[in-house]
Amino acid sequence: MPNLLTRLSHWANKHRKLVWLTLLLLIAIVMSVVLTPVFLIMPFKAQTSRTLEVAYVMRRWSPVVTVLASLLILTLTIRLWLGGRWWSRIVLLLLLVPVFAATWLARQNHFEWMFNPLPNPAYAKAAAVRFINDDDRVLSVTLGNEAVAYPIRLMGYHHVVQDTVGGTPIVATY
Amino acid sequence: MWESTVDGRVLHFHLAGINNQNFIMRDEETGSWWQQVSGKAIHGPLQGHQLKSVFHDEVSFAIWKREQPQGRVLKPDDRIATANKYEKPNWEEQVGKMRVVEGTDVDKRIEPRALVIGVAVDGKSVAYPLSVLQQQSPIIDMVGSTAIVLALGEDRRSVRAFERTVEGRRLEFFQKTDGGGFQLVDAETGSTWSFEGKATTGPLAGKQLKKVFVLEDYWFDWRLYHPDTRLYDLK
Repeated sequence: MPNLLTRLSHWANKHRKLVWLTLLLLIAIVMSVVLTPVFLIMPFKAQTSRTLEVAYVMRRWSPVVTVLASLLILTLTIRLWLGGRWWSRIVLLLLLVPVFAATWLARQNHFEWMFNPLPNPAYAKAAAVRFINDDDRVLSVTLGNEAVAYPIRLMGYHHVVQDTVGGTPIVATY
Repeated sequence: MWESTVDGRVLHFHLAGINNQNFIMRDEETGSWWQQVSGKAIHGPLQGHQLKSVFHDEVSFAIWKREQPQGRVLKPDDRIATANKYEKPNWEEQVGKMRVVEGTDVDKRIEPRALVIGVAVDGKSVAYPLSVLQQQSPIIDMVGSTAIVLALGEDRRSVRAFERTVEGRRLEFFQKTDGGGFQLVDAETGSTWSFEGKATTGPLAGKQLKKVFVLEDYWFDWRLYHPDTRLYDLK
């Protein structure tokens, strides 16, 4: 095993250009697997079921792919750092920034940045409500003996609210 | 509005994307993607599963408050409210001006962003332009083989639909215009009916019309999901 590593090491030294190329390719993979779904699922853009499928697969695998690719990228970066000139080292450092950003972004839900969820929804009794006007529209659900109103002005922002009405767990959506 | 239990497991949903005016949600438990408008899982381990729909109305707060004085109302998140991120009261006006996404099949009979009341029963769908309903309420119609009545509320904005067959008898409705308020009357017995579809006076007092789900939607969006829809027309 050490023999193999030494052999790889020597090979890499001789073929710096190839190592750079591999590094750039890996960076391109990381960026595209994270950014493609973002562009595919942009609001107000027409989407086909094919684009959604691609977006789903990429989002599903990007946390794993980015971590593995980042490890490889780090290894190659170290390899190129050693014996590299000062300007190539700066380039390497700069390249690491988007890679780590993308790896982090792969684990975020940027839609929830735009539309904060409501993890602990609170409710007011009908008579005590001051924040909704009489002519504001509400989505009304009655299950069992329980009636709940979800004001559209609030739902249009949060989009998804979990609740239990009359003992039935529901997800209110708008 | 969906029941969140699938195969005995309660799922917890998160916003995952916007798909053609409707959004995608992801459940925490399996990571599957669900389409909000249909309640169907389109990708992931639960692909193909269908959430059970929960009947709901869209009405003005005033009407809801009167009907459900003991009900509870979702409160705003203070941080979001302070940051002014909720829609303003005139949001409908604003959205009505927004452009329609390219690639949708444009049917020019009415404006793409005209508000319609969409009714879909047993695979048949009909869109009733709100403007038509505001000229004539109630509307008596058939959706496929189901006899329905659409009624505009006192606020001239909230709409509800009901099956108008009661104990095998198909009723015709009209609006009494004397006095104020909502006065829906059936021609066969003269009973008066509330906006909740319950007969309050007359021979049929106490009877409840079966509610029919209506979706208030923009014409272009309704047609996208119901390509064979009929568009109701006042003749």
